[in-house]
Amino acid sequence: MATKQHDVLIVGSGHSGGMAAKILTEKGISCLMLNAGPEADLARDRTMKSAHELPYRGFGQPGRLPHVFQANEYNANQWVDEKENPYTHPPEAPYNWVRVRLLGGRSLFWARQSFRLSDYEFKAADIDGTGDNWPISLADLAPFYSRVEQIFRVSGRKEGWPQFPDGDFTDSSFPPDSETIKRFTELATKRGIGVSKWRFAQGRDGLASSINLLLPDALATGKLDIVENAIVREITVDKNTGLANGAYFLDRHSGREMHVKARAVVLAAGCLETTRLLLNSGICNSSGVMGHYLVDQMYGVSVVASVPEARDGKAPENLMGGSAFMPRFRNLSKKDKRDFIKGYCLHISSGGDANPQFFPLYGEELQRKVDSYAGSCVSAGIFGERVARYENYVRINKDVKDAWGIPVLHIEARDSENETNLRRDAANTAEELFHEAGWEIICNTDQVNPPGYSIHEVGTCRMGDNPKTSVLNKWCQSHDMKNLVVVDGASFVTCGWQNPTMTILALSMRASDHLGEQMRQGSV
Amino acid sequence: MKRRKFVQNLLAAPAVAPLAAQTQQRPSAQPNAQARQTPQQPQEIASLAVTEVDLVAATQPHYFTADQFSALQKLAAVLVPPLKGKPGAVDAHAPEFLDFLISVSPAERQSLYRNGLESLNRMAQDQFHTNFHGLEAKQADAIIRPLLVARYWPQDMPEDPLKNFMAQIHEDLRTATANSREWAEGGSSSPSGGRVRRFNRGRGLYWRPIDPVVRG
Repeated sequence: MATKQHDVLIVGSGHSGGMAAKILTEKGISCLMLNAGPEADLARDRTMKSAHELPYRGFGQPGRLPHVFQANEYNANQWVDEKENPYTHPPEAPYNWVRVRLLGGRSLFWARQSFRLSDYEFKAADIDGTGDNWPISLADLAPFYSRVEQIFRVSGRKEGWPQFPDGDFTDSSFPPDSETIKRFTELATKRGIGVSKWRFAQGRDGLASSINLLLPDALATGKLDIVENAIVREITVDKNTGLANGAYFLDRHSGREMHVKARAVVLAAGCLETTRLLLNSGICNSSGVMGHYLVDQMYGVSVVASVPEARDGKAPENLMGGSAFMPRFRNLSKKDKRDFIKGYCLHISSGGDANPQFFPLYGEELQRKVDSYAGSCVSAGIFGERVARYENYVRINKDVKDAWGIPVLHIEARDSENETNLRRDAANTAEELFHEAGWEIICNTDQVNPPGYSIHEVGTCRMGDNPKTSVLNKWCQSHDMKNLVVVDGASFVTCGWQNPTMTILALSMRASDHLGEQMRQGSV
Repeated sequence: MKRRKFVQNLLAAPAVAPLAAQTQQRPSAQPNAQARQTPQQPQEIASLAVTEVDLVAATQPHYFTADQFSALQKLAAVLVPPLKGKPGAVDAHAPEFLDFLISVSPAERQSLYRNGLESLNRMAQDQFHTNFHGLEAKQADAIIRPLLVARYWPQDMPEDPLKNFMAQIHEDLRTATANSREWAEGGSSSPSGGRVRRFNRGRGLYWRPIDPVVRG
């Protein structure tokens, strides 16, 4: 018999679950966190190795992680095993679902780019003339962004641009730009395109994760218990109240099934795992919208140029190096008529090498070319916004089950003409700017990775004011069950071009504040 | 939580005494009850030196036919020769390693390699009346160069099967060479391109399997 009862059950331990645990426990609310995987011991579980010491000489085990393009033989064990945890998609429409089940989830490995969404995203329908607005605005979320930025120690340069809202940065110092970055900035500025700097979560001790910035605070209250290797298969409902009252879960190793009770349930398993759990539980979907509007950002479009005077190792000091960041600059006003809606940002890096694949050469001839171009390259990559569309959706595939007998997700996501046109514009813009700078274009492709690759999947339990067209209210509570809150990226209405972590954290903080207050008042 | 886990580990120690603790108790043939009840601190045991297998043994090719493997060896010698004091693909035993790698790869990749190597031998016979391995440098170039294409995107492989094969095997040979022990010991300059570039000159932070599920 369980001897300990908890007020809130939290499923998932990444950024969103960690934030919920911190906020709720600091209000004196007891929480139980269930995490599907084990805790990693960063000292024990990692070691330095040479590629030739690995079984597959750095290639990785063939066919092991076909959907995780980020995987290599060094990091293969950090990702979810696709054989134990399969999912399905149409053969002609691949989807890269990239998952981590270690305690802390994907917060252990994120790129730490830290942006706020703007009202160009929160009120996207007003700008685009189509789609839906969020039920909240930047003003609603700004105070929470500020608190998150302080916890995560976000560095950045303030610009005062409405499409790129400034944060409460803990550090705004950057080294001087190299001559190539200055040249690029000058040319972009002439076109009315603002060029800024990356915004980055410094964290602490080289980590900006749930496990070092959020969960220790929650544990320090004495109000949090964490259970690892607990795979939740179903949220349970009180037949009398119609409210969530706990969950069934399985021990990852033995398969032993257990049940836990709670007054409220917070789902933070990641957008798609949360949606899978709700769909498998058969709850909170009176709107019929759950699983639809799956969206993430396009990563790709690679334009690379070589700076002639930097070749053959002859680059003068300060010519190469550094980076620049071009936040969204398209469709900021209705006068800007394009063959696509929404926008993209460009990441610019100076001082890289040329990829040998760019040259149809081999042997000594190839090596001479690669050596000559080494360090002379400037590259541009796109993070573009996809349109959230009803047709891109997930459902339960009852014919396929994971290693614990739980039905898996079937994912269908395809790009539209809007995405094609947007990425073409990105490639053309970068090429024009590099060409104007006098640099030799050595790569230009408007190709992008499959949907899901960005690991920024959001939107399958979208929030809204209308219970008939949305799953959650503006506080991330289920319209159907006020004591069930979704704090991960599933609540997003649009994905924006910005990395979503700061927004997920701010939404989780806001939703948890609200839930805590409602529990104090006794209304939940 | 770390503190909690540490305490749990300490409590678990007497149940499965570490080897060092057992060794210390050995002089007393009949350990007394008090000694058995005393929690033993986990102790570090010095690691023994072990030898990397490639230093003492060679990969035994078994997957490709003799004709296919000879074409692979020739291709390795031509595409990735020794340069700037660094070993080439043949010195790095890249063909032998790829024989193993392809043998455990998905069927599609296996077909790509087998058909590609067969095609090279066929083209060599048609044009120069010998197999690919027997070609002079100029003759090999006449076959290889038309099959090379610039690729701007990792997944953007040529539609033509033979050009696709050439792009794939070129990248694989470069990677197998640059990630080899021979390359690591052959100097300090980093190779140009290929997967090894991500790993800090061939070294990287490796994640061990973390609490894997053990199935019966």
